Amino acid sequence: MYEVFEHTADLGLRIRAATLEALFADAARGLGAVITGDLAQIRPTSEERFVIAGTDPVWLLYDLVGEVHAAFELRRMLFCDFQVSRDATGLQVVARGEPYDPAVHTLAHEVKAITQHELDVRHDAAGWEATVIVDI
Amino acid sequence: MTKPPVTTDQSSDRASSRATDRSFTGPLEPVDDCTWRIPKSYKPGMLVDGLIFADERLIPLLRSDRAPEQVANVAFLPGIQQASLAMPDIHWGYGFCIGGVCATDPASGGVVSPGGVGYDINCGVRLVRTNLTLADVKPVLTQLVNQMIRDIPVGVGQGGNFVFSPDELRTLMREGVPFLARQGLASADDIACTEAEGCIPGACPEYVSDRALARGADQCGTVGAGNHFIEVQVVDRVENDTVAAAFGLHAGQICVLIHSGSRGLGYQVCDDALRALRDAPAKYGFDLPDRQLVCAPVESPEGKHYLGGMRAAANYAFCNRQLLMWHVRQVFARIFGRSWEALDMQLLYDVAHNMAKIEEHAVGEARKDVCVHRKGATRAFPAGHHDIPERYRHIGQPVIIPGDMGRASWVLVGGPRSLGRSFGTTCHGAGRCLSRTAATKAAKGRNIRDELLKESGVVARCRSREGLAEEQPAAYKDVDVVVDVVHRAGLSLKVARLRPLGVIKG
Repeated sequence: MYEVFEHTADLGLRIRAATLEALFADAARGLGAVITGDLAQIRPTSEERFVIAGTDPVWLLYDLVGEVHAAFELRRMLFCDFQVSRDATGLQVVARGEPYDPAVHTLAHEVKAITQHELDVRHDAAGWEATVIVDI
Repeated sequence: MTKPPVTTDQSSDRASSRATDRSFTGPLEPVDDCTWRIPKSYKPGMLVDGLIFADERLIPLLRSDRAPEQVANVAFLPGIQQASLAMPDIHWGYGFCIGGVCATDPASGGVVSPGGVGYDINCGVRLVRTNLTLADVKPVLTQLVNQMIRDIPVGVGQGGNFVFSPDELRTLMREGVPFLARQGLASADDIACTEAEGCIPGACPEYVSDRALARGADQCGTVGAGNHFIEVQVVDRVENDTVAAAFGLHAGQICVLIHSGSRGLGYQVCDDALRALRDAPAKYGFDLPDRQLVCAPVESPEGKHYLGGMRAAANYAFCNRQLLMWHVRQVFARIFGRSWEALDMQLLYDVAHNMAKIEEHAVGEARKDVCVHRKGATRAFPAGHHDIPERYRHIGQPVIIPGDMGRASWVLVGGPRSLGRSFGTTCHGAGRCLSRTAATKAAKGRNIRDELLKESGVVARCRSREGLAEEQPAAYKDVDVVVDVVHRAGLSLKVARLRPLGVIKG
């Protein structure tokens, strides 16, 4: 799950999940929700694959959310569903969604960037939790 | 499991309680009636004090978020000079606070930090004068604002009318507004009245990534979203007749304020720099309290690379606001049936508020070239400074302070104490006092567009439902209070107050 929390001029995402893979997938969905305001309007009609290299969960999270952001900025792709698998080299991600169509989709926020401010991934008895603040 | 879309009422109680925990309880020692000190003893590692320009009215707001903590964190930056400064429009940012100012000395290992400029490199404002009065505009105001939102690209995902090839973009980034003048899209006066004459020297477009070029290809001449806007205003009150006359302002006059920056290109330049500098703190042995403060010595290869790309993005931003002004002039010409020259739509000034510049300043007994980071802060040089356009040099640099869309904006002039107190810097706006989620919650069940029209007579047009709610007047501090502080501190002095009439937003 993800939730949006207050940050004076920007927006923060706090994500909680039982596994790291689910944590990354929900963080990517959270970004889509910030951009569109409503993930339900995105249909999973096409598929893209991302490979994120690395081992540090913090930078894997940052780079994955950054790639999802870049997909919208550069190719106007919106995603609603992510399948994430992880091995020793990094993440393999299958993202499903569709190209932005102004007749179909509304947009809520222009996300300037994914910031490193308070960027965090941690694990406790309840599972995994991550924080990402996006610049609006 | 996922929660439904993003609105405040769907945020958990846990998130809300965390938000309220985010107040500053550290020391704020009064220095005078508009300056507060965070002593460097507050945190081990601070190299200088923090100094915040504010008065008693602003202290509760100042303590309500973690921005003062960020002022203290910036004091860790190697080579920082005098103090880590913040303006009265301070609020919580990422790494640096918004409203933060920091000067570092390159000659003694001083650093440049992309977080000290922000993602929106050379976000800034320009003010355009006209020879129209309120009586001219009032009958056609709705038509004018409707035409503006039809003709001027604004909002998320809106490409612009000008599309540049990668080679053209590189030339534009190297040469700035003079490149547009050669295309017939800028006048000599436009260049003269833009900070740095619309071209920061030392721009290195070759350091700008393909991804940044792709994001910027069709965005030069677009407003964007968030807090960016174009606003039709009327001069409500003149506070200083002599300076106002020198700036070509008088009561009742119509002006247009344009607020935007370097769009996706600049955001990407910052993002690329933060990635490239990921390992720099370890390489240079810096111990920083926040990842977003990542930095490198100004004179290092990494520092030079960032500054070269940042200057290129800054020049792109000057061109963006120039093209937006070009659109505004065309809209006015269409609505009023006269050319923009006949409407005397001259640029008063264009000034950046997110930038790092090498400037010469007095530091103690010495004069030094320092790297001045202004993040949500405006250069405000006093009369006589050689970097002020010749036509204003005897009077001081114009400073343009956007407020909120319901109350006011201001024109100030660089103050006599700005060089000595703040490396020639003043505030950049009203500063937020409500988060975006809190503003959205406060707007629930209300029609902000109708309220603006009924209560302030402001015609507002916004592309997204979130835009007006998040940017409503109540989300901002009272700009009159903020301006009053910088006026009393001598950083910049009041010239004229402008009232909004119509606004377009993303």
